[in-house]
Amino acid sequence: MTVADLNPKFTWAEGEDAPLGTNPPEVQASVPHPMRDSRFVPKERYYSREQFELEKKHLWPHTWQMAAREEELPNPGDYVEYEIVGNSILIVRQQDGSVKALHNACRHRATELAKGAGRLPGGQLVCPFHGWRWNLDGSSSFVFGEKAFEPACLNKDDLALRECLVETWSGMIWINMDLGARPLREHLSPVQDLLDGVGVGNMRVKWWKQVVLNANWKMAQEAFFEGYHVTQTHPQLLMGNDVAYGEKKAEQVAYTTFKNGHARFQSASKGESEYEPVFDSEEFIEAGRLLATGQDAMTLEQDVRIFEGLRNKIAQDDPKFTQHAIAALYEYAQGAGIPMAPMGPNIQLWGGDIYMFPNYLMLPMYGNCLAYRSRPYKDDPEWCIFDVWSLTTYPEGQEPERAELKGIFDKDDTENWGLIPRQDFSNIERQQRGLHSPGFTELRLSSQYELSISNMHEELDRSISSRQSIAERRES
Amino acid sequence: MATVRVEPSGIEFDVGPKESVAEAAWRQDIAWPTKCYGQAECMICFVKVVDGELSTVPPDDDELFEMRTKMPRRLRTPLTRLACRLRVKGEGVVLEKKGVQ
Repeated sequence: MTVADLNPKFTWAEGEDAPLGTNPPEVQASVPHPMRDSRFVPKERYYSREQFELEKKHLWPHTWQMAAREEELPNPGDYVEYEIVGNSILIVRQQDGSVKALHNACRHRATELAKGAGRLPGGQLVCPFHGWRWNLDGSSSFVFGEKAFEPACLNKDDLALRECLVETWSGMIWINMDLGARPLREHLSPVQDLLDGVGVGNMRVKWWKQVVLNANWKMAQEAFFEGYHVTQTHPQLLMGNDVAYGEKKAEQVAYTTFKNGHARFQSASKGESEYEPVFDSEEFIEAGRLLATGQDAMTLEQDVRIFEGLRNKIAQDDPKFTQHAIAALYEYAQGAGIPMAPMGPNIQLWGGDIYMFPNYLMLPMYGNCLAYRSRPYKDDPEWCIFDVWSLTTYPEGQEPERAELKGIFDKDDTENWGLIPRQDFSNIERQQRGLHSPGFTELRLSSQYELSISNMHEELDRSISSRQSIAERRES
Repeated sequence: MATVRVEPSGIEFDVGPKESVAEAAWRQDIAWPTKCYGQAECMICFVKVVDGELSTVPPDDDELFEMRTKMPRRLRTPLTRLACRLRVKGEGVVLEKKGVQ
């Protein structure tokens, strides 16, 4: 029996974008707690040290990762450090505007050359231990007291900092430690085009924060793979309606899994009147306000004000209010010089979600976007560091100069996290604790709402398995 | 943009509003002694402001802290600055630094 038989409403991409689905026995046999059935996820996948070590060895060093935003490095010599499972990589803006990703280890005695984010105004990376130096491109420029070394120690090529692959796309800098990796575009296919369609390339960081969560990195990101949790986790978003309404809302979302482990959910209600709730423009405005005040992302205060400006122009029960509201947004954007993506079927993704394997999500809405990234933390399978970005499209020429991390904030910090993320974070940690309950063996998933979770896990098993067989071939 | 003069070489160069004196020098291929290249670490770029002090931006806590912890007391005068932190907001600044060329 296939998932389609179980629930024909679940959709996955077909043709060349189709996900690979359940893995063949040889892949399953090569991982300790394999995905055997797309409806069930073995709980050990979220805390087993063996699983975690396999990810460290076979996933992270070989996959594309969103390492930084372009606007973190506006000028030549700017750098930021990207860290993943104990690897520190310096992302450095070059004189010609391009970007390099250099492994952050002195070629002498391994000292990390720079930390955090900053500028290299003299165009030199200087080791704080003995003062060896490198140019921005990683080539060696100075060895202190070089006469004291034998030539074999000072081969120029050996002294150059080790590089990673780097590609930029729509304001994001992606790195891959595997110099033989396929191009980013191939890895991101087919979701790159979907995001370009809503203009994410025009967006810049409004704010960027991090939270450390007592949960596996996969557990944390999976909280954002579906909209099915919304009415229970965020009761305020139900806006006083009943359970039936909540269920209807959940059903208005279409989920699609893709190849390469990626997934999407988006509005499914277009043209399907059976799912269209009774219309009330005040509810539309209120829903927008709840997002603006509850997370300061996706819908922003400015969008709400534009919607409010229609209050006495459009009747409260006008079923076309949404269209009027979107037209008003575009009118404002045009007047203000805000480069919005062209209106079209792409905007069905507004309020939806694109998940990019292994650990990055974007949730576009209007000219804005919420983005999440989840990474293991402190070499512990049960901890992660979770990034949250609120992106928006600024009037041309008025983009903020440099994006900086606002800070790492406690998950309960009401000053720095809105109600919506606090509600999500709280469930994530409770899930992780619940996993250890003796009677609990596996997560059970909805074939309509939650198969993007298994799609990710299945891709993870494939990634580990394929690298393992490469490693085995090398050894034999 | 303001022009500074550096004695004893007498060399003059422009410093932009968002860059330090040392950074401006490096940008224009003028040698300014350093080991850390702008990280306020090595103290080698230190400079004495001999004229036009009012056209300089006063040191921040960070620069003062680094000088207090890493620079010998005999070099520290009220007019001693780190060139990698020294910014200029007007004309008439004259600096004293050997090895600038």
